[in-house]
Amino acid sequence: MVNRARGVLSFVGEVGETASAMWWSFFDWLAQVPLRQLVVTWILAFLLACTPALHPEQAAFFLLLSAGLKILAGGKRKAEIEARKAAVQAGSESLERRLVEAQMSALQAQVEPHFLFNTLALIGQLIETDPPEAAKIHTHLIEYLRATLPQMRSRGNGTLGRQIQMARSYLAIMQARMKSRLAVSLDVPPELESATFPPMMLQILIENSIKHGLEPKVEGGRIDIRASVSGSVLQVDVQDDGVGFNAYAGDGVGLTNVRERLKLMYGTRAQLLIEQPMDGGCRASICIPFAPDIFAKP
Amino acid sequence: MTQPKATVIIADDEEPMRDMLRKRLHEAWPELEIVAEAANGIEAIALAGQHQPDIVFLDIRMPGLTGIEAARMLFNRCHIVFITAYDQYAIEAFEQGALDYLLKPVNLDRLKTACGRLQSRLGKTPNNIERQLTQLLQQTGRSPAGAATPQPEYLHWIQAQVGNSLRMISTKEVLFFRADEKYTRVQTAQGEFLIRKTLKELEDEVDPNEFWRIHRSTLVRVDAIAEVTRDLRGRQMVRVRNSPEELEVSRGNTHLFQQM
Repeated sequence: MVNRARGVLSFVGEVGETASAMWWSFFDWLAQVPLRQLVVTWILAFLLACTPALHPEQAAFFLLLSAGLKILAGGKRKAEIEARKAAVQAGSESLERRLVEAQMSALQAQVEPHFLFNTLALIGQLIETDPPEAAKIHTHLIEYLRATLPQMRSRGNGTLGRQIQMARSYLAIMQARMKSRLAVSLDVPPELESATFPPMMLQILIENSIKHGLEPKVEGGRIDIRASVSGSVLQVDVQDDGVGFNAYAGDGVGLTNVRERLKLMYGTRAQLLIEQPMDGGCRASICIPFAPDIFAKP
Repeated sequence: MTQPKATVIIADDEEPMRDMLRKRLHEAWPELEIVAEAANGIEAIALAGQHQPDIVFLDIRMPGLTGIEAARMLFNRCHIVFITAYDQYAIEAFEQGALDYLLKPVNLDRLKTACGRLQSRLGKTPNNIERQLTQLLQQTGRSPAGAATPQPEYLHWIQAQVGNSLRMISTKEVLFFRADEKYTRVQTAQGEFLIRKTLKELEDEVDPNEFWRIHRSTLVRVDAIAEVTRDLRGRQMVRVRNSPEELEVSRGNTHLFQQM
């Protein structure tokens, strides 16, 4: 008994709430509607209210006609809105694409002069003290430039194996310079080397790790590069035990470029993840759809 | 060459570079005694305090303290020579400020000239180069106090606990923040994260041109806004890209979208 009474009460309450919401939405509408529209609406409403009393059968016809008109007009308006939305979206997307392309070409020309000059200074020194080592570093530098300078980039650059090879060259140079301050490990299963992987992304992550994580750290540290596949996702990690991440530091040209390019190439199917493990350092991961051979479309 | 036996400390984070400089110095100035070598700025200061050298060679880019920061602490005790492979701004400043500097790889003739200049100055008090150093520090974006922390600007990364790690989410990836009881929900195109930072704290820390407060419980990234519409009740509703959620604009904030 009590329950039913309570049910009725809550139902009445709901009806009351709905009514008040409708009343207030009407009130809002009244506040905003232009005066002319209000007059026309008022006359129409007045006629509508009077006709049933005077001509019942005409009233029914009138109701039917207005309902039909409303449906027709509503459909047309909806189509118009959809079309406009699509046009705006297409416009902004093509604009974004052009913007990203512009930024990319700017970035591609970037080989850090500091790195280049320091490596050349090292080679110059090694020529005197250790010529075979100098020749090795020299070869690594050529390898690095071949992959980095946009004019030199060849079509075969788009595989993980090629990117790893380039990373090895870069890391070998950095190890020759930083000596015991830099330890490196690479764990990439050979069967993943033919997988499609966009150029320069791994390189950007590694350079970031060294520049922001390890170079500022007095005792240096290590950098681990791993690639793995789970399901249809290829994940490449670059992890360091450096000084970690400053939340106020800007996103930088490099990471922004990686993120934008991933979005452009794979939409939401790819991801750039940046994490700080509990035991310090920083881990950056790129996850893209796994395409085992170079003929597969990204 | 009957000079008093001068002492020097070499500071460079790259061991091969120290080797090279040591070798060249032996050739250019055989009487010079290398009393210590440092691998970073902090070590350089400590060793300088211990050995009281006449001269210190400082690489500019070093971990711990940069060469310029270290020089600020040492310049009134010994003669400073900077070494660098590539530091565009610094080199310009050196030339204007008449500071001694060497370019890597160190050229023997150039080093001999520098050593000659140092020899003539030994025994005199080192030049007061504080003004130039302060200028240099400002140009290279460091605070003159010598602290290596750059001025915090705006928050660019949101930290969210995911499993055993802190996920760093770039503010450029965030679509909006919504207050969600005790937590704040961070919405990205990929998913959502809960963080403990309150909306008020976030609003104070992020770039106000990047995020707008449109509602008591919503902070939206301006770039992510796809469109603003009015619903039947006349409320402005914001739709962001890559999310089906509609965000209400409260009455007090409708001025944000007046012309839209």
